[in-house]
Amino acid sequence: MRLRSIVLVVAALCGCWGLLHAQKPFQEYDTVEGHAESAIPPDAYVPHEWTRARLMYPDYTGFLLGYRRRGSWTIDYPRSDRHLLFGVKRLTRIDTRSVEQPVALDNTDDIYNWPMMYAVEVGHWQFNPEQAAQLREYLDRGGFLMVDDFHGSVEWQVFLEGIKQVYPDREIVDLPKAEPIFHTLYDLDDKYQIPGAQYLRSGRTYEQDGYNAEWKGIYDDKGRVVVAICHNMDLGDAWEWSDEPEYPAEWANMAYRIAMNYFVYDLTH
Amino acid sequence: MFEFLFKYPLSIYRQGTFIFLAGWPIWLMGLGVLAAAGVLGFLIWRQSSGSTRMGVVRRTSVWVLQTALAALLLFLLWHPALSVSALKPQQNIVAVVIDDSTSMTTNDENSTRKEAAEKVLNGGLLKALQEKFQVRLYKMSDHAERIDKLEQLTAGATATHIGESLKQVAADASSLPIGAMILLSDGADNSGGVDLETLAEIRRQRIPVHTIGLGRETMSHDVEISNVDVASRALPESRLGATVSFHQHGYTGQKAKITLKEGSKIVASQDVTLKAEGTEQVETVLFNPGDAGVKTIEAAIEPFPNEENLRNNRVTRLVNVDARKPRLLYLEGEPRWEFKFLRRAVEDDKYIDLFSILRTAQNKLYRQEQKDGKQGLTNTNELKDGFPSTVEELFGFDGIIFGSVDAPYLTKNQQEMVKQFVDRRGGGVLFLGGKDSLSDGGWAKSVDADILPTVLPDRKNTYSFVGADVELTPAGQDSLITRIEEDPIKNVERWKKLPYIRTFQDPGEPKLGAVVLANFIPKEGGGVKRPLLITMNYGRGRSAIFATGGSWRWQMLQPLADMSHEMFYRQLLRWIVSDTPQHVTGSTPKSVLADESHVKLRAEVRDKTYLPASDAIVEAHITGEGAQQETVNMVPEPLEQGVYGADWTAPQAGSYIVEVVAKRGTEEIGRDTFTFRREDGVAENFHVEQNRELLQKLSAETGGSYYKPSDAQKLGKDINYSQAGITVRETRDLWDMPAIFLLFLGIRAAEWLLRRRWGVI
Repeated sequence: MRLRSIVLVVAALCGCWGLLHAQKPFQEYDTVEGHAESAIPPDAYVPHEWTRARLMYPDYTGFLLGYRRRGSWTIDYPRSDRHLLFGVKRLTRIDTRSVEQPVALDNTDDIYNWPMMYAVEVGHWQFNPEQAAQLREYLDRGGFLMVDDFHGSVEWQVFLEGIKQVYPDREIVDLPKAEPIFHTLYDLDDKYQIPGAQYLRSGRTYEQDGYNAEWKGIYDDKGRVVVAICHNMDLGDAWEWSDEPEYPAEWANMAYRIAMNYFVYDLTH
Repeated sequence: MFEFLFKYPLSIYRQGTFIFLAGWPIWLMGLGVLAAAGVLGFLIWRQSSGSTRMGVVRRTSVWVLQTALAALLLFLLWHPALSVSALKPQQNIVAVVIDDSTSMTTNDENSTRKEAAEKVLNGGLLKALQEKFQVRLYKMSDHAERIDKLEQLTAGATATHIGESLKQVAADASSLPIGAMILLSDGADNSGGVDLETLAEIRRQRIPVHTIGLGRETMSHDVEISNVDVASRALPESRLGATVSFHQHGYTGQKAKITLKEGSKIVASQDVTLKAEGTEQVETVLFNPGDAGVKTIEAAIEPFPNEENLRNNRVTRLVNVDARKPRLLYLEGEPRWEFKFLRRAVEDDKYIDLFSILRTAQNKLYRQEQKDGKQGLTNTNELKDGFPSTVEELFGFDGIIFGSVDAPYLTKNQQEMVKQFVDRRGGGVLFLGGKDSLSDGGWAKSVDADILPTVLPDRKNTYSFVGADVELTPAGQDSLITRIEEDPIKNVERWKKLPYIRTFQDPGEPKLGAVVLANFIPKEGGGVKRPLLITMNYGRGRSAIFATGGSWRWQMLQPLADMSHEMFYRQLLRWIVSDTPQHVTGSTPKSVLADESHVKLRAEVRDKTYLPASDAIVEAHITGEGAQQETVNMVPEPLEQGVYGADWTAPQAGSYIVEVVAKRGTEEIGRDTFTFRREDGVAENFHVEQNRELLQKLSAETGGSYYKPSDAQKLGKDINYSQAGITVRETRDLWDMPAIFLLFLGIRAAEWLLRRRWGVI
């Protein structure tokens, strides 16, 4: 009986170790935006060469934003992801999975299986020291982070608090026009602000005090962009509502092109 | 014993001819034997008829014995003898050749070999010879030199060339009546033994060479490096392996340290446990030759306190670290993580330039160039239309990587060019696994299937998105491509601990001559082991398959400080390109001439399209120590197209730099630089044990005999018989040799004993 117990414990430990080091399968989560639900594509579980991950970050708990929201990481999810990945299939030769992979900074090795990661509404994120350290390790090993859909000075400040935990020593800079990230697949010399779906209601292209689109980034020691920052714009909405007749096609078009360039940039640098 | 039984030494029987002196025909002896047999048979049968004690078997036995006795008597009546050719006293010369090399100073039990040689000669042999012959003394080094007395021996020569020396003495025999040679040596020849031509020449002159072996056949306490094998060319900052072969006596099971030094700087060291006595042990020590330039690497085994010969513990080799930067072309059919992480893995290797073409969209290419360790977009229009379409463009690279790209993406002409790139150009090609790679990419049906190291499966869907563990094969454990830990045992363990690869592809079955360095074991579907990394040489070049597109996990799933992914890809890509030849490739058979001066220079010349250039003008500019320069014209080798050669003699010890320049008219085809080094006073330090095998072979092949120093005095008698020099035919009676008397007695005794046992005396 005792031997049996030992065998079972050892087997369980091996199983846990395997889980920690193996890729987690695809899983869909509840969203904070009920309207954003999207059917799971029939080939969702078919593996492919490339998958874009979505960061499941913890929400901001401070007083800077004046309120607390749960599940900010799920904004535009999963509809924008599915639309975007369909676009990746159509516009590039990247062999992408049809669905995104939500990943968490959970101190397991799972996140390292998904070297391309997107985070939305990062004006609402917050990390503990372990999570920040893991995100830094992820980026240093070769991972890439694209952040989007945060607006104005307050959300910028919250974003800054988080990213400075990750990279206290790296500068956030404006990406120049000549930066290869804007020229991998399309030459995007003339970029403009891409508003979210709120524009259809408000008629404004900006949110809060984020009047001008900012294309920023963080470089690594080799001069490669490892964090691509899309501030004062809402690419996520543009992908999500790209099938909406009222949403201007040129904005959706630009949003897709930005994403394609960023993805190809990551895969070539 | 032989001489006691048969009256004369064996050497006389070997040289002599058997004859009967009676002058009667041989057939008569045969007839006599038959008649005797008949008469004896009749008599024995008649006398024994009616006797119950003498049955058929017994009668036959008696008959056989008595007939044998009659035959022996008849044989003696015919007067058997040996006819031998004997040297005429005082009319012949005996050449005594004494080894005068430094190995003769080796101390074997209280005296040196030189002293042992003098003892043999002064102990009566020389006097015995002088009584019958004129004796010529020669001292032997890399040539033979006449001396008048033994005192002229110095044991100071730096080389021993037995063949060359004997050839010289034999040449004297064409004008002098040399009847025999006596060679006193330890047989420690530095020229690789006695060649067949020399042996044939001595045999033609029928001069027997008697050898007296000096020295111990095994040392009691010694470690000797027998060879060090290291690549003569390398790229800067490469990981090279020096394969050190050595053997030892007296230190079995003890620990020894092998060190590699460049000048006074130790570049690598390794502890080893010494194997069994006399066993050839081979150990590989890894080292980094550093920057470009000629590197003199000394491999040494640290001496033991009571070692008898310390001079054979070190060997020098040269490594030419090329300043050239090989160019690699990477064609990738889809943006994927393997592409990203492969490029990152080699981005710090400033000695390899990587040019990549990536198909980003259906009609778009993204070209990048990694040069001098920096990434960037190419500023030129190079390959703006994609994969090279001309031989000149493609052959400008040293290696090619095909990622997930299908064969039909290349035209038939381009596919043929890829094959010629390996076969004719001598380049390396690496095929990675991918959804459009190998079988799934239609490569099995392309002309390039020939250059692949496997026979690809004749089916699609060979690429799986299933994780797989990786393990090294025995060949992979020895390979430098897969060496991510210096220690071979730790390396095997390191590979076992690597994160699983995310994808794998069935590469099919390895071809004959292919080497599987690593296997993968799928995590699903039964876990059947399949080849993952396979290499093969093809034509002048080489090819490899790395059947995965998921090794990027080795980077992402391991801590940042772990360099296994980077090291693996750097070593694999360096293997792909480091041996790719240029238009002109110069070489010598040996990079270090140990007590030799002659060097054979060789150059392989290829034109712009890497076809052999047989109409080139090829010169070798040799710069030696003290900056003396000499230009040597190299001439085409008759049997090899595009190969030129020249013989040259290095005048003194030191390093020599050779720059080979090939031209066609005024147009230069190419040039190459290589080095060699002449070292004096080295060769005699090695193989100091007596090479008895060589000495015995030499005497046996020439009709002479091998003697130990203790038996050498017999030579005074044996040497009389020879077919060389001025000889006279002599006959030697055989009827009175003890063996015949004993045989006679034996036959009679046998019959008597049998009869006594049967009770019929």
